[in-house]
Amino acid sequence: MADGILLERAGVPAVSICTDSFLAPAQAMAEAYGFPGYEFVTMPHPLASLDDEQIQARVTDVLPGVLRILGLES
Amino acid sequence: MEITAVTSGGTPPQDDAPLADPAEIRRAMEYYADRGWTDGLPVVPVTESYLAEFLALTRRDPDDVVMAMPHLNRRCTVRLAAINAALAGCRPEYFPVVLAAWESLVAEGYAPRAIWQSTTGTAPFLVVNGPVRERIGLNSQGNVFGSGFRANATIGRAIRLGAINAFGLRPHQLDQATQGTPAKYTACIAENEEQSPWPPLHAQFGLDPSDSAVTAMVIRSCLHIEARHTVVPEQLALDIAGTVSRTGALIHETISALVVLSPEHARLFARAGWGKPDLSQFIYEHAVRSRAELAAVGKDAIARQTRWRLPAGHPDSVPDQAQADGDPDTVRVLNSAGAVLVVVAGADNAGVSAVVETFGPRGGPPPVVRVADPAGPAGTRQERTARG
Repeated sequence: MADGILLERAGVPAVSICTDSFLAPAQAMAEAYGFPGYEFVTMPHPLASLDDEQIQARVTDVLPGVLRILGLES
Repeated sequence: MEITAVTSGGTPPQDDAPLADPAEIRRAMEYYADRGWTDGLPVVPVTESYLAEFLALTRRDPDDVVMAMPHLNRRCTVRLAAINAALAGCRPEYFPVVLAAWESLVAEGYAPRAIWQSTTGTAPFLVVNGPVRERIGLNSQGNVFGSGFRANATIGRAIRLGAINAFGLRPHQLDQATQGTPAKYTACIAENEEQSPWPPLHAQFGLDPSDSAVTAMVIRSCLHIEARHTVVPEQLALDIAGTVSRTGALIHETISALVVLSPEHARLFARAGWGKPDLSQFIYEHAVRSRAELAAVGKDAIARQTRWRLPAGHPDSVPDQAQADGDPDTVRVLNSAGAVLVVVAGADNAGVSAVVETFGPRGGPPPVVRVADPAGPAGTRQERTARG
């Protein structure tokens, strides 16, 4: 979350992604960085135990959200 | 209104019980709880005049930073450390120990780098040595990890409340611990120097035994070792090494531990001519797992970048250091004898000891920090820190 905010502030387009288990800590971190309205993408938990195919499916699922935050046409 | 007696067996005389307004006391307690300024237990209300009693016991400026977390843009000052020590129930004379604890945690290094926010769920753990133990009533004997002693209970709690209030590390928010540990309420022990056959921890690492010192660590758990069955030092040391090397603890390539020996176990080793470094060396050499045991739990290789353990078949896996050494089938779980510290604490009444699982690979001298004498010079950090 911090990396995403710092990259944005440095002028580098970035989107933070976390699993839904970290929604509240992620929002707390954004508030700690003075960016309470920071938009990011969440996906279902867990992530670490997924295989290659499941990871690919996650990418497909979240990509529209990533592109929307970046301000690109999907 | 008179305070109600709290013990069983009738009402004892209460000639010295203070007169108090219970409604006002409860209102103060609720005030702190409503603001999230507690660990879930009631705290002691702090006024500027009470705070001044704490600040009078250090020569440091109230605005001095005792720990910073740059990634949160937050810092704990001497003033905030004092407020949270008072909230925790410390007496003012405990405050120099609390300040030394913060300084040791900074020198230890993991806490400022966000480990207290991790899902791992670590807690600060403090070992206190020297004359200050007796001066402020720190328990080093029976029930040393347990309840019952104000100095132990509140000095450890002062750090937790500082984490909550100075850094905002509240559970479900910036503290993401999956389960945490009971040590997150408080974890502060004193070494039982009087019943130890060996030099105390702070003297082992360069301070004078007449100094008082705090050595802070970040821990994951405390494991109980019940060993009343043997008087053979190698058997007892292997029992301890087997506990240190449990696979569930082996998250990184190597791990570390603090062994807390009861006086009875310490004497068993000392009678055989072992010192603390000998026990550390033995545990280093014998805290091992076979390659097959690690493969059975999927921890026989490490990740390329993080060096966390994972199965050899994982696409990100690389061989661990043991693969490059002479005996690849025997994997040491410690990187050196220095990754195991030894202290003596607890009652001299049974063969019961503990392994405290400290976070990180470690090795090298621990962050032993001298407790400043409030009447003496403030000193520089180099003067107060054994490892300089």
